[in-house]
Amino acid sequence: MPRFWILTKAMFLVHVRNRITLFWNMLFPVFLLVVYGLFFSSSEVEGIDYMNWVLPGVIALNILAFGLMSSSSMLVNMRETGVLRRLQATPVPALHLVSAYGLVNVAIAALQSAAIILSAALFFDYTPTAAGLLRAAPMIILAIFASVALGQIVSGVAPKAGVALALGQILYFSQMFLSDMVLPIDQLPGWLQRLAGYLPGYAITQLVRSPLLSGEWSAALGPQFLLVAGYTVAGGVLAALFFRWAPRH
Amino acid sequence: MPGIGIKIEGVSVVYGGWGTKPVKALQDVSFEVEPGEIFGLLGPNGAGKTTLLSVLEGLQAPSAGKVLFGGEDISRQAESARPRLGIQLQHTALFEDLRVRELIEFYAGLYNVFLTTAQIQELLERFDLVEKANTYPRRLSGGQRQRLALAVAVANDPDIVLLDEPTGALDPQARRMIWALIRSLYEEGRTVLLTTHSMDEAEALCRRVAIIHRGQLIAVNTPARLIAELNAGAMIKTDLDLPLDTIQPLPGVIQARYTGQHLELESHEPGETLVALGNLARRQGLRLGDVSIRQPNLEDVFLQLTGQAFEA
Repeated sequence: MPRFWILTKAMFLVHVRNRITLFWNMLFPVFLLVVYGLFFSSSEVEGIDYMNWVLPGVIALNILAFGLMSSSSMLVNMRETGVLRRLQATPVPALHLVSAYGLVNVAIAALQSAAIILSAALFFDYTPTAAGLLRAAPMIILAIFASVALGQIVSGVAPKAGVALALGQILYFSQMFLSDMVLPIDQLPGWLQRLAGYLPGYAITQLVRSPLLSGEWSAALGPQFLLVAGYTVAGGVLAALFFRWAPRH
Repeated sequence: MPGIGIKIEGVSVVYGGWGTKPVKALQDVSFEVEPGEIFGLLGPNGAGKTTLLSVLEGLQAPSAGKVLFGGEDISRQAESARPRLGIQLQHTALFEDLRVRELIEFYAGLYNVFLTTAQIQELLERFDLVEKANTYPRRLSGGQRQRLALAVAVANDPDIVLLDEPTGALDPQARRMIWALIRSLYEEGRTVLLTTHSMDEAEALCRRVAIIHRGQLIAVNTPARLIAELNAGAMIKTDLDLPLDTIQPLPGVIQARYTGQHLELESHEPGETLVALGNLARRQGLRLGDVSIRQPNLEDVFLQLTGQAFEA
């Protein structure tokens, strides 16, 4: 098995075997859905059944939480404990390591998104269309790349796992209610709505929500697509610049 | 297995950048490690041992100088040398959610060495980890963790093994077990370079040692020769109370002094000195008691070379 797959398999096992990571990765997203589903299931937003409206928001919320908090603090933890340093001492190219870590992250966040959709279908009579799912899938993958890339900036600048988590939480919670994810954005003041339009969380939510609701890709989402792609590229470049194998002394 | 020699030529490492005062972690260090020997880097904490090992591991670029493995300069191409190295870092951190067996297989795989089940079993047996094969590292004792770190270090069948404080904070029994394993690496013809701040370990394990102090190399030789070059005698300590001018003329005595309640004698002939001291005590109606003899060791070498007592 090539080294890349050896690394990928190991990192996947590390993610799924750690109970705390597993809880945050697999149960927390479903918990989010259940909370919003139970409290608001009887209401409507913009004439749309709340579950249909909120489900893409929960997916987006979870993708942000995963990238900004789980993924970033896990890398910092690997750096703090010396695991990264030990890997650096092997002949494995850094690109293999980064790619394997990225691939595992994308796979896990994609699984989470699938778990959210499945839970909604099982417990809240959510009935997605095949066209909607097919067209939302690439947007979800792009969103995960963007979120993980932004999370890796956090891991690069944070000196410790605790700081990374705190920074990730600030970025996550600041977007939670400003990004049209679980609360409609039109209830915010105009200036805040305009500002929110540039947040990755808002763009991700629109990119995921639109195809899930309509089963189509809308040309009107071009700016959001470019914004998320831009966040992905900029995040990736900055993450590479800030990347460190060992803690700062 | 024919070992590979290591040549370190004028290696310096300076830390620091904009707005910070440069720290000279290593200054113009040069020495050679012969193929297939156990060589010790000895020095107190902060002396620069780990920095030097990091240079050899390719984890730290030298500010000046070069490193040759088997005559090949690897200073600017550390990655190419890594497949020949077996590495155990000072605080070996392994994935805590991979089992012992998986970790050995995983790290060997990173070197493109794909172990068979029988080869993994062989490593588990050699490092006494068979019963822990399916255990996670967090459930291992300190000694078991170090044995696992060693097993991981040699899983890729390296020519050169670099060990940073391999017995760190282990109890004496676990320490001796690690020593036996390190000797077995030497018996296989591998070149072993280890750092230690334990004088005992250096004397017990290493054919030659380099003593490093404040980033500078201050001596390289076999422990026995370094001690012999001291030209120091054995130190006899007793609670006898006699005038120093009666003790000084005794056979073999180099010098005598009182420290607290104890008489300390340095002697080239500790056996003869003790007999004469016993006779002298008897003539004065006293009894020679609470005697201890200490041969000169590497701590004395360090004291003489640096003017400071060795503090690990």
